[in-house]
Amino acid sequence: MSEQRGHEEWKQQLVKCIRCGTCRSVCPVFKEENNENTTARGKVQLLEGVMEGTIKLTPTLQERFNKCLLCKACVKGCPSGVRTDTLFLSARQANACENSLPLVKRLAFKGLTFRKLFDTGLRIGSVMQHVVMKKSADGRGNQARFNIPGSGLDLRRIIPPVAANTLRDIVPKKTTVANPIGRAVFFPGCMLNYIYPEAGKAVVNILNKNNWDVTIPDDLVCCGTPAFTSGDQATGRELATANLKSLSGDYDVVITACASCGAALKHEYGEILQDEHIHHNWEELSTKVLDISEFVSKYGNPALLGSLPLKITYHDACHLVRGMNVSKQPRQVFADVPELDFRNMKDADVCCGAGGTFSMAYYDLSRRINDHKLTNAEATGADYLVTGCSACRMHITDGLSQRKSNMKVMHTAELIDLAYQNGTQQKKGGK
Amino acid sequence: MNQAVLNELKAIVGEAHMLTELEDRYCYSFDSTFINSMPDLVLQPSSRDEIAAICRIAHAHDIPIVTRGAATGLSGGAVPVKGGIVLEMTRLTNIIEINKVNRYAIVEPGIITQDYLAAVDKAGLFYPPDPASSKMSTLGGNIAECAGGPRGVKYGITRDYVLGLEVVLPDGSIVQTGNLVDGDMSGPDWTMLFCGSEGTLGIITKIMLKLTHKPQSKQTMMATFDRIEDAATTVSTMMSSGVIPTTLEIMDNLTIRAVENFLNIGLPVEAGAILLIEVDGDPKAVEKHVQHVLKVCEECNASSVKVAKTAQEADDLWKARRSVSPACGKINPTKISEDATVPRSRIPEMVSAVQAIAKKYDLKMVIFGHAGDGNLHPNILSNKHDKEEMARVEKAVEELFQAALKLGGTLSGEHGIGYMKAPFLVWETGVEGFQFGKDVKYAVDPKSLMNPGKLFDYRPSPS
Repeated sequence: MSEQRGHEEWKQQLVKCIRCGTCRSVCPVFKEENNENTTARGKVQLLEGVMEGTIKLTPTLQERFNKCLLCKACVKGCPSGVRTDTLFLSARQANACENSLPLVKRLAFKGLTFRKLFDTGLRIGSVMQHVVMKKSADGRGNQARFNIPGSGLDLRRIIPPVAANTLRDIVPKKTTVANPIGRAVFFPGCMLNYIYPEAGKAVVNILNKNNWDVTIPDDLVCCGTPAFTSGDQATGRELATANLKSLSGDYDVVITACASCGAALKHEYGEILQDEHIHHNWEELSTKVLDISEFVSKYGNPALLGSLPLKITYHDACHLVRGMNVSKQPRQVFADVPELDFRNMKDADVCCGAGGTFSMAYYDLSRRINDHKLTNAEATGADYLVTGCSACRMHITDGLSQRKSNMKVMHTAELIDLAYQNGTQQKKGGK
Repeated sequence: MNQAVLNELKAIVGEAHMLTELEDRYCYSFDSTFINSMPDLVLQPSSRDEIAAICRIAHAHDIPIVTRGAATGLSGGAVPVKGGIVLEMTRLTNIIEINKVNRYAIVEPGIITQDYLAAVDKAGLFYPPDPASSKMSTLGGNIAECAGGPRGVKYGITRDYVLGLEVVLPDGSIVQTGNLVDGDMSGPDWTMLFCGSEGTLGIITKIMLKLTHKPQSKQTMMATFDRIEDAATTVSTMMSSGVIPTTLEIMDNLTIRAVENFLNIGLPVEAGAILLIEVDGDPKAVEKHVQHVLKVCEECNASSVKVAKTAQEADDLWKARRSVSPACGKINPTKISEDATVPRSRIPEMVSAVQAIAKKYDLKMVIFGHAGDGNLHPNILSNKHDKEEMARVEKAVEELFQAALKLGGTLSGEHGIGYMKAPFLVWETGVEGFQFGKDVKYAVDPKSLMNPGKLFDYRPSPS
C-alpha cells in the first residue's frame, strides 16, 4: 500500500474513535492486564501520536501492538465502527518496516513461500522432532526437552506432534464421485496438512459423502496469516498471489476448515492485495469461500447424518465468528444430528487466548485467557469440546492437559464426518 | 520527578504497577472527551493504604494526583491537565458486603458498574443508577462525577444511593463519611461533599451504597409525534400528572432518520420525535400506569403509541435507542455530547432553543436524551479535524449552556464539570458561589494537588 494512502486510511479510521471505552468491556487482553495500553482506544491514541510525530515507531511501541490477539472483539463491539483490526495490522506493518522482525520470524516467513522446501523441512521435522521434543506425561502431545532459542516454546506447553503422514500423503489430489453435484476445491492450510491430517481427511469425506468432487491443488502454500499479521505484508502478498493462482480453476466452492485460512481468503486478501492486478481474481474467489460447517448447513443432506450420542460444547473461533460470520451454521448442523447432546457454553465466542504467535510471545497471559474458556466449557458438563480452528484446538488441548481435565477436543469436521459414518452404518444395520 | 521519589513510589505499588514509558503514559492522556494531556507517571495501587502512602509522598513533593476509574467521563475529569500522577483505581474491585436484611452494599471504587449491578441482582436486590457507560465505568467514577442514567426519572441518580464513603485526603489521612444506617452522620453531609467532587478533594477508597427492591414487572412503550414540541409537552404533562415513568427517552427527527438508515427496522422517519417510555412496579399498578401514559400521549397529539407485548418487542424498541451512537457516527465522526439540563416543565422551551442554536451555527445537532430528567443531551455531530467547524461548535456549546441556565437549569445533568465546562461554571454559581466552592476546595486541599485545574480550581489562561 502506498504510504500516502495508508496515512489517509489511518486518518479516516482514527477520527471515528470517540474514546468511549467500550473496547475495555470486550478485550480479553485488557481484562487480564487491566492496562489502558492494551485497549483498542489506547492503541488508536498511540497511532494518532504517530501521525502527529509525538510517538515514534520504537520497539516499545511494536511490543504494545504485538500484545493483541487480533480476535476482532473490539471491532464487533465498537459503537463507532472503527476498523481496529485493519488499523492494527497496518500498524504492525509500519512497525515491522521500521524495526524489522526477529530473524527467526523473517526466516520462517521466507520459508513459507517455498512450498517444497517448507514441506521437506516439516517432513524432516516429523522424523527429528523427538530429538528436541518429548511425549507429555498424559500422552496428548509433545513438550520441549529444553529451551529452544527463538522458538517461543514454553517448557510447560504441550503441542501436537508434526504428523508422520501429511494430509496430502493420505488423501489423493483429486477425489471424484459418480454424478457429482459440484466441484469443490479444498484449501487445507498448514495445520490440517501437517498437524491434524485426520481432520483434513474428514473434510474430504464430508464433501464426497454429499456427492461433491474434491481437489487439493499441489501448489497451495500457507495462507499468509502468520506473515501479514506480524507485519510482513510483502510475504503475505506473495503467498496470497500464489494461492489465488492455484485456486483459480473451474470450481463451484472453495472450502476451508481453518478459521484463519478462511478469513484470509474471504476478506484479508482483499486488503493486502488492494494495489495488485490479481485483486480481480480475489473478488470472484471470495464469494465462493465457505467454511466446512457453512457448506454442510447450506448443501449437506441432513438425512445422511446418523445418531451420535455424545455430549458436546462448541467454541467459536474468532476468525470464524467475527472473521467469516460463521456461528449459527455449526449449531444448525449439531441440531440436525440425532441424539447429539449440544450444550452452549457461556461466552462461547470469546477468544481462547491462542492468537497465533501471541501464545508464543505471551504464554502466561494466553493461558490465563484460555482458563476462562475452559472453565466455561467444563461448566457445561460436556465430554467433547468442538471447534472449527486448529490453532484454537491446539491451545485448548494444551490447556486441558495443564489442568488435567478429561475433556476431549474435536474438529467440527471430524464430528460431522463421524455422524455421516454412523448414518451409513445405521442404514446398513437396517435402522 | 526525581529518581528518589520514583523509587519510593515504586516501592509502594511494585514495578509492574508503575508506568513510566512514554508509550504507556500516552495511553493515559485522555478520557471520552477530546482533550489530551499526558501524566508524568501512572500508578496502579491495590489498596487504601498504598493510596494513602502515595498521597503522603505526593503531598511532600507537591505532585498533582488525578484519580482515574475507567476514563469514560465526558467532561475531562480524568485528564491530567497539569501532569503529575494518574492514579488508576481499577485494581480495587472487591465487593466487601451485600447485606440483604439492611439493604446496603460495601464495595471498593474500582469495580465495574455492570459487575456490581450483576452481583446485586444475584442477591435479589436492585441498584437503579444505570449510566450508559455501565459496562466500562467504575462505581468510584460514577460517584465522583455523580452519574445518572435512563432510570433516573423515577429512581434518582447516583448521589441518591450513597450512604457513606471512605476517603483518603490530600495529605494521606483517611476519613469516613456517613454511615450504613441512613447515611446521615452528625453535622453537615460530608458524603455529599465528595459526591460529584470529581477527584478534586480526595480519593474515594470505599463506598457504602443503598439498595432497593427489584420492580416486579415493567412495560415498554413507544409514542410517535408529528411535532417534537408535542413530545416535549407530553414529557412535562406526564411528570406533573402523578405517574412517574422509570424512563422517558426522546429521539428527534434527525436521530430517527440516522437510526433507521442504520438499522432498517421501520422507524417513522417522517415523525418529529419519538418517546420511549417505560413504567415499572407491581403488575396491577403497571397496568394502570400504561393506561395513564396512553391517555396523556393521546391528549398531547401523539400520532401513535406502540405497547410492547413481549420481552422481545420491548428489546426491539430499546434497540433503536441503543443504536443512536453508531448511527450518528455514520453522519459525522466526532460526537460532542452535552448534558445541559433544565427543569422538566421547561423542556418544550429548551427544545426550541436547541433547534435555534443548531440553525444559527449551521451544525448538525441531534437530541436523544433522558427527557424525563430534563436532560435532552443535545449532541453535535462534527469532525474534530475541521477547525472552522469546531470554532462554531464551541460557540454553540456556550449558547446551549446560557439557554439552559436561563431556563433555571444546570450546565451538567450527569457528566460533571471537569475541565471542559469549568470556564462556564461561574455562570451557574455566580461569583460568590464560585468563590465559596474555591474556599471549600482549598480548605481541604490547600496545595491544590487533587485533580488540579478542574471544577473550582479552574483559572483562566493569561491569554
